[in-house]
Amino acid sequence: VRAAVAALAIGVVAAGAAASARERANPYAGNITAAAAGRKLFLRHCASCHGEGAEGTRRAPALVSAGMRRSRAGELERFLRNGGMSRGMPSWSALPEQRRWQIVTYLESLQVP
Amino acid sequence: MGRAILPFVALGACLAWSAARAQERPYFVTYDQHMEEPGSVELALNHVAGHPDGGNAFAAASFEVEYGTAGWWTTEVYLTGQSTRHESTTFTGWRVENRFRPFLGDYPVNPVLYVEYEDGDGANKTLQEIVGFDGQEDQTAPVDLAREESEREVELKLILGSDVAGWNISENLIAAKNLGGEAWEFGYAVGASRPLALAASPEACRFCPENFRVGAELYGGLGEEGGLTTQRTSHYLAPVVSWEVGDAVTLRASPAFGLTEASHPFLLRLGIAYEFSGAGPWIKGRKR
Repeated sequence: VRAAVAALAIGVVAAGAAASARERANPYAGNITAAAAGRKLFLRHCASCHGEGAEGTRRAPALVSAGMRRSRAGELERFLRNGGMSRGMPSWSALPEQRRWQIVTYLESLQVP
Repeated sequence: MGRAILPFVALGACLAWSAARAQERPYFVTYDQHMEEPGSVELALNHVAGHPDGGNAFAAASFEVEYGTAGWWTTEVYLTGQSTRHESTTFTGWRVENRFRPFLGDYPVNPVLYVEYEDGDGANKTLQEIVGFDGQEDQTAPVDLAREESEREVELKLILGSDVAGWNISENLIAAKNLGGEAWEFGYAVGASRPLALAASPEACRFCPENFRVGAELYGGLGEEGGLTTQRTSHYLAPVVSWEVGDAVTLRASPAFGLTEASHPFLLRLGIAYEFSGAGPWIKGRKR
């Protein structure tokens, strides 16, 4: 019973952390300079897999899509930080948080409906 | 004929892979928690120079090939050599190491397990880690004599790393055993580093602060099995700086200052690394 309670508590905390990460606002939202810096970072770190225009390649999916338009900035930053190894996406936690947000700002600037 | 064209095939493969900006650690001895990106290959040349009291000045180098086998698994192969003034220049051996990251997300503390096998001789002066009672005296023995000593060794490390507010903080606990029947030897390495600028500038630049990472590492021996101690062991404090010169090239430098009598008074480490991404399909293709 104790183990189940502990597992439940950990699950609740983890879910809470994920939810709070989703809600985090992009400190650079709409900032053109940050989007330009994000483009530079994207070309350096991401384009070799996702393509120079984020159009996707055989190695990684397009990042201009309806799914991306639905994603919140906090979710994208969290995904960059943690990666998704089951899908081949490395963690970019080595990049400072500010640079991850700059990449998110650039990706958001690409999502024209 | 086949052998003659091999370097050109390798060069062609390298050119076909795209250069990628590494998440390169600035440390020379301490490992951080970051793994090589899957399918990426990094080539690195690291150099160390020193002058032990009562011995000849030396320079040693290691050539390293690192491959991101999977997101949770990085493998590396090293070739090492040394040159000692008034003595000789020799190949000193090779080592293969594997790092495994059991938890893939980013946590407050991220553990990585490290396993290494080394086959070389006693003339190896690369000082890639300090364990047991390693000290400057080891590098005063004549090279010809030291080469007769076999160094078949396994080494285990527990690597812990955190990224906090732009800082990377890494701690390594090291256990090494010479398979010639010697006792386990222990050591440690800790490092902290931070980019000079956390946010990137919008312009392409080589000398802007975001391309520089500065910090320091502290490493040394902790004695051996049955006698954990810091007495008669060597310890070093070493500022580190790395510079991401281009999209794939990183230069590193680190002057290390010996803190105890057993330590080298001064060591200078220099390194250059080049990373390629997209090597995975080529390597997997060759395996088939």
